[in-house]
Amino acid sequence: MNAALFRHTWRLQRIKLALISLGLFAWGCFPPVIYARFGVQFETMLQSGIFPEQFARFGNGDIFSLTGAVALSLIHPIALILTSVFAVGFSAGAIAGERQRGTLEVVLARPIERRVLYFSLLGSAFLFLGIAIAALLAGCAIGSAFAGVLAQLPVARLPLVWLNAMLLFGAFAAIGLAASASFDRFSPALGSTLAIVVVMYLLEVLGSLWPDAAFLQKYSLFHYLKVKTTLAGAATPVDFAILAAAVAGAVGWAVLIFPKRDLSAPI
Amino acid sequence: MPAIRTTGLTKRYGAIRALDGLDLEVQDGEVFGFLGPNGAGKSTAIRLILGFLHPTAGSGQVFGHDIVTASVAIRQRIGYLPGGIAFYDTLTGLEHLDFLARLNRRLPTRRAELCDRLELPARTLSRVVRDYSRGMRQKLGIVQALQHDPELAVLDEPSEGLDPLMQRAFYAILEQLKREGRTVFFSSHVLSEVERVCDRVAIIRGGRLAAVEEIARLRTRRWRNVTVQFDGGGAPPLDNVAGVSDVEVRGNRMTCRVSGDIGPFLAALTQLRVVDLTIEVPRLEEAFLDFYDDRAMT
Repeated sequence: MNAALFRHTWRLQRIKLALISLGLFAWGCFPPVIYARFGVQFETMLQSGIFPEQFARFGNGDIFSLTGAVALSLIHPIALILTSVFAVGFSAGAIAGERQRGTLEVVLARPIERRVLYFSLLGSAFLFLGIAIAALLAGCAIGSAFAGVLAQLPVARLPLVWLNAMLLFGAFAAIGLAASASFDRFSPALGSTLAIVVVMYLLEVLGSLWPDAAFLQKYSLFHYLKVKTTLAGAATPVDFAILAAAVAGAVGWAVLIFPKRDLSAPI
Repeated sequence: MPAIRTTGLTKRYGAIRALDGLDLEVQDGEVFGFLGPNGAGKSTAIRLILGFLHPTAGSGQVFGHDIVTASVAIRQRIGYLPGGIAFYDTLTGLEHLDFLARLNRRLPTRRAELCDRLELPARTLSRVVRDYSRGMRQKLGIVQALQHDPELAVLDEPSEGLDPLMQRAFYAILEQLKREGRTVFFSSHVLSEVERVCDRVAIIRGGRLAAVEEIARLRTRRWRNVTVQFDGGGAPPLDNVAGVSDVEVRGNRMTCRVSGDIGPFLAALTQLRVVDLTIEVPRLEEAFLDFYDDRAMT
């Protein structure tokens, strides 16, 4: 890690980080409130058989339990879009975007190893995601307290949920940075990362809504975000290990490829 | 030890040879000009030296450090101005200079002096770069490249976008660097600039080094295209004047080529009533290649 580069990245992203964190915090407040206000009614409707049970269980989340509501807050498209600002947008642009703009060569003309540059950017991405996810979980806790259901939330297990979510979105950030290190331009880096995230999301959602497609879920990294299980104290190390392996794989690729790449003149 | 030495440095992209067997030596303390048309391989050579590209064949050293295995050690001693330098639009000029100086891990000992010479006052440096004109960006680029007093400055088209006054200030900076024993390696298209500040010049064409020559030597061999418009009388007797060749007379207009000392030619013109006189200095590339063609024939 290079401290100067890290501070520089922080400086460029801090306003965006503040806005995203605020947005995630606000969003995190909602599902517990909805659960507290309408959870019972929804469960009654579900039990009446009006609509299939799967339709009320989006990903691993639901609104019939507080833990399900917290899970929903993390897997919902709103959360996905907001965290993707860093997990996909920042990471995909961190190298390829700077290269396209021409600022990368000004930085790399300094005595900095490319691996140091890479790890500084990876560290920044993880920090931004860590703050953003913490803001969302803090929103869940505050929302629960506001709705008077905080006692149902195992707050002590929230750090483990944070770690689980960090590994998931960290894996996407690592994939984004690996793509960024592999392409000369921002658009292919962004496009390939976005495609991976969207396909994995669809596999998870499709599998959770359609029992015949449930086998697809294991191919999605989203499947290993086990918020309800973790909050229930039944988290399995395998889920965390699979996400960590995805991070390690993407980091390994980038560390291998980036120092060997030719950085020709900006296009 | 030369500041830069390349041996058979080659960069290929598939079948395309961007740089083909570059053999070059730039001495420590020398101001070295690097000329060539677009796509000739100038930027490729510079990017290989800086470690942005990996050579397909050949080798290179900067201050004795290998360009592939010791790139970081090389960049520790270099100041680099890329052609058409890009900045972070939301940062101020001063924030850029501070950030880049921190990355260099060297104190920006020359910053104040450079900003003073290039007329970049604190008020300008406190503005965000997106508000800068092209010339101001170029000045900021020069300052960031030299503020940490590098032993070797690699400058790609450094005077692009500078007004004549600032160009003069920039040349004065180069002359000072030269006096202080710093090495400068820069690419340019401007003949007067190269002539004014360089000790030697290299020309590169189609990825190959066409020639390397001392500026002083080139100057003595340089020719000019002369057009004279005269009033009345016949063709002037110039055939026996030293340095004059290719004389062509059409009516009251004469063209010729004059090389070396122009004095005898001007003396011969006193026999005429000259209405107009145009002396065109050839582009350095032409002069250079002409010189080498001549030498190849002798």
